[in-house]
Amino acid sequence: MTVAAGIGYALLALGPSLSLFTAVISHKPFLILTLLSSTLVWLMSLIALSAVWRGFIPFKTAAWWPYALLILTSVASQEALRFFLWRLYKRMEELLDAFADRVSKPRLLITDKMQIALAGGMGHGVAHAVFFCISLLTPAFGPATYYVEKCSRIPFFLVSAMIALAFVTIHTFSMVIAFSGYSEGNRTDQYFAPVVHLAAGVLTLINLGSGGCIIGIPLLYGMAMLTLLHCGKLVWRRLTENRRQGNLY
Amino acid sequence: MEQNPRPRTVLETLGEEIIRIVTPVSICMLSVVILVSILNGDPSSGGDLPVTTMATIAYSESSSDSTWDKLKGALLNSLVFVAVVTVVTFLLVLLFYLRCTKFLKYYMGFSAFLVLGFMGGEIALLLIQDFSFPVDCITFAILLFNFTVVGVLAVFMSKMAIFVTQAYLVVIGMLVAYWFTLLPEWTTWVLLVAMALYDLAAVLLPGGPLRLLVELAMSRDEDIPALVYEARPVINDSGPSGGVVRRRVWREGGDTDDNQGLSANTRSGLASDSTPGTHLSVGIGEHERNLADAEEGRVPGGDSELTTPLIQHINVRMNSSENAVPSENLALEGIGLGSSGAIKLGLGDFIFYSVLVGRAAMYDFMTVYACYLAIIAGLGVTLMLLAFYRKALPALPVSIMLGSQDMMNCCQLYDVLLLFWCFLSFSSRHVRQSNQHDYRVGISRWEAYNRVC
Repeated sequence: MTVAAGIGYALLALGPSLSLFTAVISHKPFLILTLLSSTLVWLMSLIALSAVWRGFIPFKTAAWWPYALLILTSVASQEALRFFLWRLYKRMEELLDAFADRVSKPRLLITDKMQIALAGGMGHGVAHAVFFCISLLTPAFGPATYYVEKCSRIPFFLVSAMIALAFVTIHTFSMVIAFSGYSEGNRTDQYFAPVVHLAAGVLTLINLGSGGCIIGIPLLYGMAMLTLLHCGKLVWRRLTENRRQGNLY
Repeated sequence: MEQNPRPRTVLETLGEEIIRIVTPVSICMLSVVILVSILNGDPSSGGDLPVTTMATIAYSESSSDSTWDKLKGALLNSLVFVAVVTVVTFLLVLLFYLRCTKFLKYYMGFSAFLVLGFMGGEIALLLIQDFSFPVDCITFAILLFNFTVVGVLAVFMSKMAIFVTQAYLVVIGMLVAYWFTLLPEWTTWVLLVAMALYDLAAVLLPGGPLRLLVELAMSRDEDIPALVYEARPVINDSGPSGGVVRRRVWREGGDTDDNQGLSANTRSGLASDSTPGTHLSVGIGEHERNLADAEEGRVPGGDSELTTPLIQHINVRMNSSENAVPSENLALEGIGLGSSGAIKLGLGDFIFYSVLVGRAAMYDFMTVYACYLAIIAGLGVTLMLLAFYRKALPALPVSIMLGSQDMMNCCQLYDVLLLFWCFLSFSSRHVRQSNQHDYRVGISRWEAYNRVC
């Protein structure tokens, strides 16, 4: 595709992340560092998973269940990594609080904690978008574009950009939900992220069928909206609770 | 309905110094990647000028050679290059010993002129050719001349606006890095490894030129002229003193603590004279009786943590009897003590990382992304370790020297490891560039590069 179209697809997948970055994350250097390290960690996890599965792909059968197995294992390992990142974050939070005490500044506010979780989630989303969408765009610059048979109405790159956008949203905000759930001990929130991730992954299997992307992608966006709404409700609840408890923020 | 303004937590300012170094490094890498993908991406672009450079003088790689031949040739090339760099560095030590500092300063300005004027001019010509940009010779010459002269002044004079200086340093790094990516593939890799190893040797071995230079500078309490990127110092605008800006004050005299501090600084900052290795100098603030602080009525002591949470500011120690004498014998506040402990990163590191990422850009975007993240992660970890190390051992002067030495060695080892990692990730792709361009670069330009780094 042309350079203009390529930039368009890249912005489609990463545009909202870019605006979120400029609005929230770029003002606090620590969040930028969190974003960079989170991107690195999730990218390494994706590379590791693809290295493990490289031996089995391409699948010889046309059935859908090997793909389901692939998605299941990948989602499971990524969710394990998310829990491990939560542990790391707890330790870092202790360090930060100790440091704040030492320089007699207030401890981490709840908005700070949620912003750190947001930066971590955005790292996850950016890693996913780059790995699954942007890496397809750069070798494909040129005069023509590419269509897939099973989704023949829109170019392949546009489909992948749209799916990447949905996943970026899901990953960004489910990290906030997950961290909040772990810190409060709320079971719904703790299980929300893995369930939604798995559901979204399985929903992409619908694209394997002919004309499946017409059904699959709107459903995927439904999951993204669900994540957004749940995160919004959660944040609202926690902030109002916090305010009621007497803290101003 | 806010009764009070939002309390400022540590999250607002933590990690600011790291970002102030990571941003220009990222910009440099991004520009090199863009240049490489624009100018080298089209296989039919440009001309095949057969050129011998200093780095390919021993062996000119062609794609028909066997792997073993290429490796041998690349080793030969890098040997020659390292030999030339060693000779030039020893020359530099000799000149510094003979107190020809002015000559060194002028030579630095001259090399900046060469890099900006000639290398920048050639790249600009290539771009104009590529995009068929309509501009005539005279306009181009005037613009290029103006650009070059302002760049030389920015590098030369320390009174230039800091943003202009930083921008020009990034541009110089970008230009030199781009030229390095034009070398044949194997030569580039072996050269990077060789430079990293040479850097280690030159700093560690007792007869190493860089070590001699540092010791000379230490014993004379002078600064060494070099091209070093200095980040803008972090200004504390919160806290009890509220809005006090540290003035740029030069260090005066000193006793043992500050000498060690200076040695750590110069040693760490100085090895930036050669290409690779992360050389960071961070100010140490031990016993603060800062004259400037006292004048402005600040509370000395633990305040330094408040001002730069992650990395301590330098608290300049002054003899109470003397005033601060700004020493202007430096092209760019060089190594040694800068104003308020801003982090300095040698230009050689910019070039090293950008060459790595530029080479990655010739293959694949994912390699670029992975390499970029690895470099930034390593850089951030190195900076944090440096800060932590400083804080952990504030009172022991010897261990600070050793610590900074260890840290520098770690940084250099990190460079070597990074090279190996990148090379592994590249060789697993086996995507060969269809054209190998060798460009004719004058020998003087390579000497200029040696000085630049």
